[in-house]
Amino acid sequence: MTAPLLSAEGLFKHFPLRGGLFGRRAGKVHALNGIDFAIWPGRTLALVGESGCGKTTAARAVAGLIRPDAGRLLFRGKDVATASGNDRKSARRAMQMVFQDPYGSLNPRLNVNAIVAEPLVIHGIGDGAARRDRVAEVLAQVGIDPRDGERYPHEFSGGQRQRIAIARALAPEPELIIADEPLSALDVSIQSQVLNLLKDIQAARGLAFLFITHDLAVVDYFADEVAVMYLGHIVERAPRAALFAAPRHPYTRTLLAAAPRPGGGKRRPGAVPAGEVPSPIDPPTGCPFHPRCPRAVSACRETMPILSGGDHAFACHNPEPVP
Amino acid sequence: MTDIVRPTAPPDGMLILFARRFADHRLALASLVVLLALALLAAAAPAAEWLLGVSANSVNLTIRFAPPSLAHPFGTDELGRDLLVRLLYGGRISLAVGIAAALASAVIGTIIGLLAGYYGGKLDALLMRLTDGVIALPLLPLLIVLAAVDLTKIGLPAELARDPDVSLYRMVVIIALVSWTTVARLVRGATLSVREREFVLAAAACGAGPLRIMAVHILPNVVSPIIVATTLSVGNVILLESVLSFLGLGIQPPIASWGNMLTGAQELIWSAPQLVFWPGALIFATVIAFNFLGDGMQDALDPRAITR
Amino acid sequence: MIRYILQRLGESAAVIALMSFVIYALIGLMPGDPIDLMINSDPRLTPADAARLRAVYGLDRPLVDRYLSWAAAAIGGDFGNSRLHVRPVLDVMPGFLLNTVKLMGLSFILSVAIAIPAGVIAARRQNSRLDHVINLLCFAGISVPVFWLALMLIILFSVMMPILPASGIASVGGGGGIMDAARHLVLPVATLTIFSVGSYTRFVRAAMIEVLRQDYIRTARAKGAGPSRIVWVHALRNAMIPVVTVIALSFGTLFSGALITETMFAYPGMGKLIYDSIMGNDYNMALVTLLFATAVTLAANLLADLAYAWLDPRISYAAGEGARP
Repeated sequence: MTAPLLSAEGLFKHFPLRGGLFGRRAGKVHALNGIDFAIWPGRTLALVGESGCGKTTAARAVAGLIRPDAGRLLFRGKDVATASGNDRKSARRAMQMVFQDPYGSLNPRLNVNAIVAEPLVIHGIGDGAARRDRVAEVLAQVGIDPRDGERYPHEFSGGQRQRIAIARALAPEPELIIADEPLSALDVSIQSQVLNLLKDIQAARGLAFLFITHDLAVVDYFADEVAVMYLGHIVERAPRAALFAAPRHPYTRTLLAAAPRPGGGKRRPGAVPAGEVPSPIDPPTGCPFHPRCPRAVSACRETMPILSGGDHAFACHNPEPVP
Repeated sequence: MTDIVRPTAPPDGMLILFARRFADHRLALASLVVLLALALLAAAAPAAEWLLGVSANSVNLTIRFAPPSLAHPFGTDELGRDLLVRLLYGGRISLAVGIAAALASAVIGTIIGLLAGYYGGKLDALLMRLTDGVIALPLLPLLIVLAAVDLTKIGLPAELARDPDVSLYRMVVIIALVSWTTVARLVRGATLSVREREFVLAAAACGAGPLRIMAVHILPNVVSPIIVATTLSVGNVILLESVLSFLGLGIQPPIASWGNMLTGAQELIWSAPQLVFWPGALIFATVIAFNFLGDGMQDALDPRAITR
Repeated sequence: MIRYILQRLGESAAVIALMSFVIYALIGLMPGDPIDLMINSDPRLTPADAARLRAVYGLDRPLVDRYLSWAAAAIGGDFGNSRLHVRPVLDVMPGFLLNTVKLMGLSFILSVAIAIPAGVIAARRQNSRLDHVINLLCFAGISVPVFWLALMLIILFSVMMPILPASGIASVGGGGGIMDAARHLVLPVATLTIFSVGSYTRFVRAAMIEVLRQDYIRTARAKGAGPSRIVWVHALRNAMIPVVTVIALSFGTLFSGALITETMFAYPGMGKLIYDSIMGNDYNMALVTLLFATAVTLAANLLADLAYAWLDPRISYAAGEGARP
């Protein structure tokens, strides 16, 4: 069993809310409540959940944009927070991020060449000529004509900009790509193109992916492992096939049931949860899903279930039976 | 791999749109022309000297207060110096000092605004308190005190302290010290909004440090309001310089500035009102031109905003 | 809200304290200290005498010490004596202050009285010829150098057409009376008014345009209210919010304008007092008058913020940072 490329252990992040007189804190957003996951080289972990579950926070924590209040991030076994400067820099270089909004993630004042070259400049990779070559190389890989490198982002369509963003992520030869809902802002017809591009790139370069999404169809196509998040907790974590075939956590069940399936047809069996997702500022006691859970028992209100179960782990006092 | 895709047809560049809207604003366009003409004339001051065969500083008490003539198209002043040439040289100085001070205060304001907007938190609070404090000060009395400071008392050797060239730098410095607040607030506001945009996050995720983010990502995206604000501030700066020079505290003779050409003008109003009229009229024209120019730029930049 | 006021007052006090130190230090850097002046006027003083006098007056002590003893006396109400007026500073100031209040008060009222109608008319007839003319005049007002304006007015009305006095507040040789005082006020008030009316008009115009665009104006129109009623009642009241703020904030510039105007017309007000005391090395007076000007400007800013918060119920200063515009 190879060692994981990246592992997250017990990540906590609570954002203070500023309110009241003179910024006195008026509560916290419990974004991450002790999550663990691991990503192996060349494999894709999909992080799924509804809005507000904390998946974007998790992605940003991995990317180093957010510092967790507690917990560790280990890259190749080394704790990123306590690593030496060089180790930290190489970890940064090896993990690149692609964002959701293709219109906002590119600096409108820089041309495409400059945008794609930026990671190379920041990490001091290569000299001018080598960088130019590398930029042209990755642009071609994502399907952008390198001759258009002089142009500016506003001259490209949404799908093309996302390709440029992907090229930027590929430039420093990373090992892990953190993709935060990279398809959500694109037109449906473009989504499949970009998704296929990502799949090709992964195959060609052996890249690992942390893929954030709420679209289960994408998960089905792209992911090797899936972790389901709810209100800052991972409630189920399993290989893709196992998750789709035999979801154990009731929330996973409802997600799968609600997902539109191509070809129409009847919904899969599974009750639709009542009510709305509670606010992450004031989460319920015990298991966060218990107010909406069709299988809730008294223990669910009192104690927080622990994520356990080896390869197919879930956090539930009363899980779905194995079919 | 996937097919190579080409970009869609590019829309009109931002610059062209801006230029078109600006040209619609006739007053601004006229002001631009006027200012360019003034700048050219000022630059040509030595040529005028040579053409007329006079010097800006050549005192000739026999021809004091001479009326306009071929030799002296605008007449002479109270020391017999040619008025036209002095006006042109004065223009040089006033324009140069005005633009330099405006640029200097823009630099100071930009740095403060960037730091406050980017870092936020305590640094932001501190810098904004500082800014509010400076805004709340009565400008002219403070400038008078600063201008009256005896430089020898802070260690500058006496000859340097009395040197008129030093008075030029001093003007730029003290005016810049009090005029940076508008730009600082503007830049802070713009930085706060740009900071949240995803390309800034992307750069941070890549590993970019604060300096790179501020210089490469934030600054180029806040530059347009800075340019407009700076243009608008030149007029104010020129007014401040001329007042201080008028009071004898600014640019020291024999260097001519439009302001110090009016020092002691109160005695002249009875004998030679034209000597009082011209320097002030030129200040007036220049300042109003810069104001129209800045206003036009502001409209061109954001036609929906109500600026006037 | 009370907490906010107290916090702002505290900050203002801190600013004034800080400024007092800064100004004290700056004034110390001005050419000629009191001993030098004494030496200049009495050449019999030897360097030994000078040194002794310095020690007596405590002028050889470090800056901070001297400042602290000044501050201690000031808090106790003793601001020292004016060198030029040979009287305690606090005795001299009120007279000058009153004159300035007259000047600034009259100009302010006049400016506002002109600015509001002009701004409203310009806003109602946006982009018409009248609007363009008003706009041009406003630009002229804010671009003219005040001291030159004063000179031009003097030339026009005292030299070319000798109908108004060029300086002072009363004619030499008695005369007195309201008419005489009024005649002396005309040119200074006119100067200061021209100086400020341009910017006030622009503020009013901009605020009115913004308000007239609002949806609730359209609603009032739809309900059948005639155009005049809309403009004058609804819009004006709401436009006053930013106008009040900005006008109060421009108090500082009015002060600077007053300084020049008073100096040009030899009008014995605070502005002239500040100028004369700085140029005349009257340290105590300069210090106190500068601090006074600072305090007044700070107070105007505070009042503007409070008025803004009071007039616009959407603004709440209880939300901590981020609520201030």
